[in-house]
Amino acid sequence: MIGRQTFLTRRRRRESPVSPEVETGRNRLLITGILFSVAFSIVAIRLVDVTLFVKQSEAQFSHSLPKDFLPANRANIIDRNGHLLATNLKTRSLYAKQRLVSDSQKAANQLAQVLPILDPSGLFKLLNQDRDFVWIRRHLTPKLQNKVNRLGLPGLNFIHGEKRVYPAGALTAHLLGYTDTDNRGLAGIERHFDQDLRSRQNALKLSVDIRVQQIVRSELESAKTKFRAIGASGVVMDVQNGEIIAMVSLPDFDPHFLTGLNTNAHFNRATLGVYEMGSTFKIFTTAMALDSGKVTLKGGYDAKRPIRIGKHIIRDYHPKNRWLSIPEIFIHSSNIGAAKMAQDVGSRVQKDFLRRIGILNSTSLEISEVGSPITPGRWGKTTTMTVGIGYGIAVSPIQLSAGVSAMVNGGIFFQPTLLKRSKFRTKKGMRVISKKTSKQIRQMLRSVVVRGTGRKAASPGYLVGGKTGTAEKVIGRKYKSKALISSFIGAFPMHTPRFVVFAMLDEPSGTKETFGYATGGWVAAPVVGKVISRIGPLLGVRPLDEKSPEIRAKMDLKIPSRKKG
Amino acid sequence: MKRATILWMLLAITAGFGLFLLKYEVKSMEKLLTEINHSTIENLQALHVIKAEWGHLNRPSRLETLGTRLLKFKPVKPTEYVQIRDIPFRPQFQQGNRGKTRLAVSKSNPPAVDQSPPPLLAKNRRKQ
Repeated sequence: MIGRQTFLTRRRRRESPVSPEVETGRNRLLITGILFSVAFSIVAIRLVDVTLFVKQSEAQFSHSLPKDFLPANRANIIDRNGHLLATNLKTRSLYAKQRLVSDSQKAANQLAQVLPILDPSGLFKLLNQDRDFVWIRRHLTPKLQNKVNRLGLPGLNFIHGEKRVYPAGALTAHLLGYTDTDNRGLAGIERHFDQDLRSRQNALKLSVDIRVQQIVRSELESAKTKFRAIGASGVVMDVQNGEIIAMVSLPDFDPHFLTGLNTNAHFNRATLGVYEMGSTFKIFTTAMALDSGKVTLKGGYDAKRPIRIGKHIIRDYHPKNRWLSIPEIFIHSSNIGAAKMAQDVGSRVQKDFLRRIGILNSTSLEISEVGSPITPGRWGKTTTMTVGIGYGIAVSPIQLSAGVSAMVNGGIFFQPTLLKRSKFRTKKGMRVISKKTSKQIRQMLRSVVVRGTGRKAASPGYLVGGKTGTAEKVIGRKYKSKALISSFIGAFPMHTPRFVVFAMLDEPSGTKETFGYATGGWVAAPVVGKVISRIGPLLGVRPLDEKSPEIRAKMDLKIPSRKKG
Repeated sequence: MKRATILWMLLAITAGFGLFLLKYEVKSMEKLLTEINHSTIENLQALHVIKAEWGHLNRPSRLETLGTRLLKFKPVKPTEYVQIRDIPFRPQFQQGNRGKTRLAVSKSNPPAVDQSPPPLLAKNRRKQ
């Protein structure tokens, strides 16, 4: 710049003509000067550009870690209290480049010594091929990795990977499902939220309480062993919002070791299995009859004679051979009475009612194993009666629990869910029966436990109410009287219910203690009673005095046993 | 040379040297950041493993067996519940000069030592 200034000033000052050589020299100087100044201004502009402005393409060598950095490729799953249910752990997977393996026989023998799960001859075959890549063993522990490294075999190498780990093991197997070796969700929550779990940063919070889950599982397990049942299932549901607190299906499996699995263990009896529930359906029948105004608690039906429909006969297990009032039909679980009640309600109302409480469609539960209910094709007069007593329609335990929740919570139906609902975004339920009907159902359910078929479900202080259900299983094309589905659906505390507890045993056999009976009242009701007395304290339900006047005023039911007039 | 030229040259040299130092400063800081990031990731991963292990050790089935075997824990019975307000004050507090309210309590609730504990459920009922 300095040079150019002097040059220009000189030029202005100069007026007299000069020799052409000097002129040429000056012109050259001028051009050179301009070129230089252009070059320098480019440098200057670039300097400003580089130093002052930050561009995307610029290589930044270090970034600070993002705040929500996750050391895994799949989000954790936690229970409602934050207990870890599923997480990813870093592992190493061993592979071989066969072409680089010098002595396949030696390598195979040495590897088999370190990894006893593998057999040498198979390893030799793997290593002796003329190929570039073969997995030897996925997901090694650091200890094993170290051992393999110490062999110093050429051609063997490790790839970092991740393995899904379930700290609670089999306890949450049916609920969470599992993933394959490449961490793709194959069942349960893992499958339903597969994409979500890959992309989300924070943990997925379930509505399940792992402690309650454990209690339900251990009680079911001991009942299953005691009554030699082939399977069992249990559900605990929050009646105020449909959140599932526990969901168990037995037998279950270890999600870490999926080889040699059997279909029985993998079958989710709580959601995928649909069963004819039997008498527990009388809760719905009675509720719809009362709610539609067809009957009142004072009303009743003649239960003297069994009803004959075609080949089938509807008869009572505990026949009273007289007129029975509605509460009596409910408490003694009279099939004749309930069938007549259903007949009075009519198939249209019944169908509509069952649809509203989610019995006729499969639930929208957030796992991949959701069974569709088996509903009658033709809904005639006969069907109405059989459905009224819980036959001819098969539903999953989750559906039944959700339906009964709506019956006892004041009449609001909530879709069952496995996700924890935030306090501020509670899902709105749908009213299905009136508050009054709900109260009457609660009183009757309580009476079943106080003086009816469900006495074994009583858990002093927790005001348990419920209904037993015993249904014969269809084996082939016939009902088999020895193969039962024995269940009990209970709720507590009955004056303001908070939780519904369901227990079911698949093909239980009676024992000496139960005098050979394997009905719901003998095998499933005690499970519910024990579960409630153990989970009550955990779920913050305060025991109360069941004989206090306030409670009795709320719960006691006048049971007419004779027809008026 | 003029003074201005010298001044500009000095400025340029200072700026150049300053930039040079700055660059090295940034480089060393970036190196530090990378190191910190590495150790953070390492620690996070270690923490992750520890959390998984904690979850495993805390699985309810294990706690249940440990509790029953080592601590002789049993499930709580409904009759074993009591509310805070149902628990009587300790005898020595009642004897002290501690105001009328406490004395009133001591009258209505004689020390539990003197008699067999009252049935708790009955008490609950009264308070509700």
